[in-house]
Amino acid sequence: MTTHAFEIARHDLMVERRAKETLTVVVPFGLAALIALPMAIGVDLPLISRIGPAAYWSTALLFGMQIAWRQSVADTGPNRDLITLLGVSPVSRFWGRTAASAVLLIAFMLLLGVAAILLFSPELPLTPWLLLIILTFGLGLAMISTLAADITSGLSGRAPLASVLVVPLALPLLVGAAQAVESLTRGSGILAWLLMLVAVEIVLAVAGTLAARPLEEAVR
Amino acid sequence: MTKVRVLMALAAIAAGLGLYLAISAPPEAVQRTYARILHIHAPSAWLAFLAFFVTAFGSIMWRIRRKEFWDRLAASSAEIGVLFTAIALATGMIWGKPVWGVFFDWGDARMATTAIMLLVYLGYLALRRATPDPQLRAARASVLGIVAVVQVPLVYFSVNLVRTLHQTQTIRPEGSPIHPAMLRALLVNLAAFTLIYLALLAGRMVVGRLEEKAETEVAPVAGAAVLPPRLDGAIDV
Amino acid sequence: MATNHRPVNLLQTPPPGFAVSRPKVGCWGDTEPLFPPPANEVSVGGVATKWRRGRREVTVAGRLIHLRAMSPILTLNDIEVLFGNVPVVASASCVVESGQCLGIQGPNGSGKTTLLRVMATLLKPTSGKGFILDADLATPQVDEVRRRIGLSGHLPALSDHLTLRENLEFVARISDRSQTRVIEVLEMVGLAGAADRFAERCSHGMRKRADLARLFMTEPDLLLLDEPHAGLDSSATPLVAALVHRTIQKGGAAVLVSHDPTTMVDLADQHMTLRTGVLSQ
Repeated sequence: MTTHAFEIARHDLMVERRAKETLTVVVPFGLAALIALPMAIGVDLPLISRIGPAAYWSTALLFGMQIAWRQSVADTGPNRDLITLLGVSPVSRFWGRTAASAVLLIAFMLLLGVAAILLFSPELPLTPWLLLIILTFGLGLAMISTLAADITSGLSGRAPLASVLVVPLALPLLVGAAQAVESLTRGSGILAWLLMLVAVEIVLAVAGTLAARPLEEAVR
Repeated sequence: MTKVRVLMALAAIAAGLGLYLAISAPPEAVQRTYARILHIHAPSAWLAFLAFFVTAFGSIMWRIRRKEFWDRLAASSAEIGVLFTAIALATGMIWGKPVWGVFFDWGDARMATTAIMLLVYLGYLALRRATPDPQLRAARASVLGIVAVVQVPLVYFSVNLVRTLHQTQTIRPEGSPIHPAMLRALLVNLAAFTLIYLALLAGRMVVGRLEEKAETEVAPVAGAAVLPPRLDGAIDV
Repeated sequence: MATNHRPVNLLQTPPPGFAVSRPKVGCWGDTEPLFPPPANEVSVGGVATKWRRGRREVTVAGRLIHLRAMSPILTLNDIEVLFGNVPVVASASCVVESGQCLGIQGPNGSGKTTLLRVMATLLKPTSGKGFILDADLATPQVDEVRRRIGLSGHLPALSDHLTLRENLEFVARISDRSQTRVIEVLEMVGLAGAADRFAERCSHGMRKRADLARLFMTEPDLLLLDEPHAGLDSSATPLVAALVHRTIQKGGAAVLVSHDPTTMVDLADQHMTLRTGVLSQ
């Protein structure tokens, strides 16, 4: 099962390396959103600096989730059938897709983070904990997005519908990550927020694993 | 339909009694009359929790039994749950403005988690609407219905996990902190709202059954609609 | 060994679905996969018989004779498929034995592709029973046999952004085939020269050939082909026959569906028609 998941992840990343959808579509879109917000606020530099982290996490959530349902790896009928008939279990498929999405999401968030620091000049301690928070958030969002992509597979209006499903479920991740960064800035402990993030991830991991087979059966 | 009418009649009687008790109960010491909205707010929230548990139960039973009844139960209960979650939030906001000074306190865990729960179940209903095939709809919605119920205990216990503006549970095993007259009114309204839920659920199930019947009346075989083309005179050879 | 049974005339033609093997007294021989016995028991000349491990055991003149059942690869019994309230397949029953090729012909919209997907275990029937490679269609057993099924549908299963070689290498890795086999099968289908061309830059015919190359590589026990000749030029058409023959020679079975019966007349030894969802001889 692990081998199959690895091969699926590898396949998705190879396709992304060629299609460059994340780099050419999602990243510019996210940057555009990051720029639009301070433009709407106006020239209030202290305010812009204060909302910087919030703008970053919101943009990461709203635009990062698009990575899971990028067109280049959209499961067309024949490709989905092929994976099924090669004996790949739906759980392996879920974890493979999640792993690939997580890698791309985390890369997206790191790029976005650099842009956010340059644009917003937030007061932020640049510690390795930040990386851990980004990794945890990215993995959780990848799981929810992959699950939502499977639930909405083949439906018309899939992208907006999947977004409607992802956003509320991902809000605990958003709160946990944002509050963890806030605590880092204040110099207080982040353990409670990290534990909250981990708890959410465990629930998502279990949900994704258990839902994989029923969702496979729910596709014609 | 008789069952629905009986339930509605009972609900109307209980609601009338609950309303009378809510109005005649003594005003709260600090919040005065504003606190009377508790008798709508708390039962609405309670109903929402119940409704979403029933949705999860229906989803689980559908996965086991694969009968339309269970999917219909899950969907009907989710619709009612969304309605009462919205009522709970709205009454909470109406209550919050004069008492806390804000309609929506972003720092309050109970409000925030309830709002999230509303959005998740709106997504559940959107998913159902977007899936035309009944089997696929039931299959996908059942997964979401089971996953989403995890939030309900989170919303309920949020006031215990994070102490902010919202009060903790009013009805507790060790006894209630509110005046007995208020408690009496609250309990009667809880019962009334439960009857309202059952009546709405029964009615919605009847409507759902009629919708299903219209949807599942067996149509002609798909291939029967495909006929050989007729090209008489269409092409000059 | 029992000795009080009536003798059976071994020159009699064995009942359908059975082949008389050499007598092996008291020895069950190799371990062929089991197949569930059919509901209707066949009586061989009125002699008492019993099933053991999928074979009929007959005692004749004190000697144990084994009638070996030819294992059907595929059995469908009154399959019905509804999409919502629309019946797409109304009634389909068939048996495809090991070494056989079934050709199903039907007009557009008759349910051919849907029936093929049921055979591929990709679609659960609304009602009816079926066994595919010993696995009951209605149970999770089907997962274990999926690797032994090969399907080529209307549209080839290729990732547009990968080359033909990369697409096949992915399949090879997942299905534990050697990577050297990739170039061999591409040569077989005449695409070795286009191995490094992106799938999206290939014509439909080339993609179809690549799909067939995949099946040459995975060597399924049950081969399912939907409109197999569509998109192939005259030089590539023999590939389909080669694939079918290879599958059959290895003891597998093949099912071909097409709207054009002439494409299957030389390949199939069983022919059926699917019309308005009903499968008939």
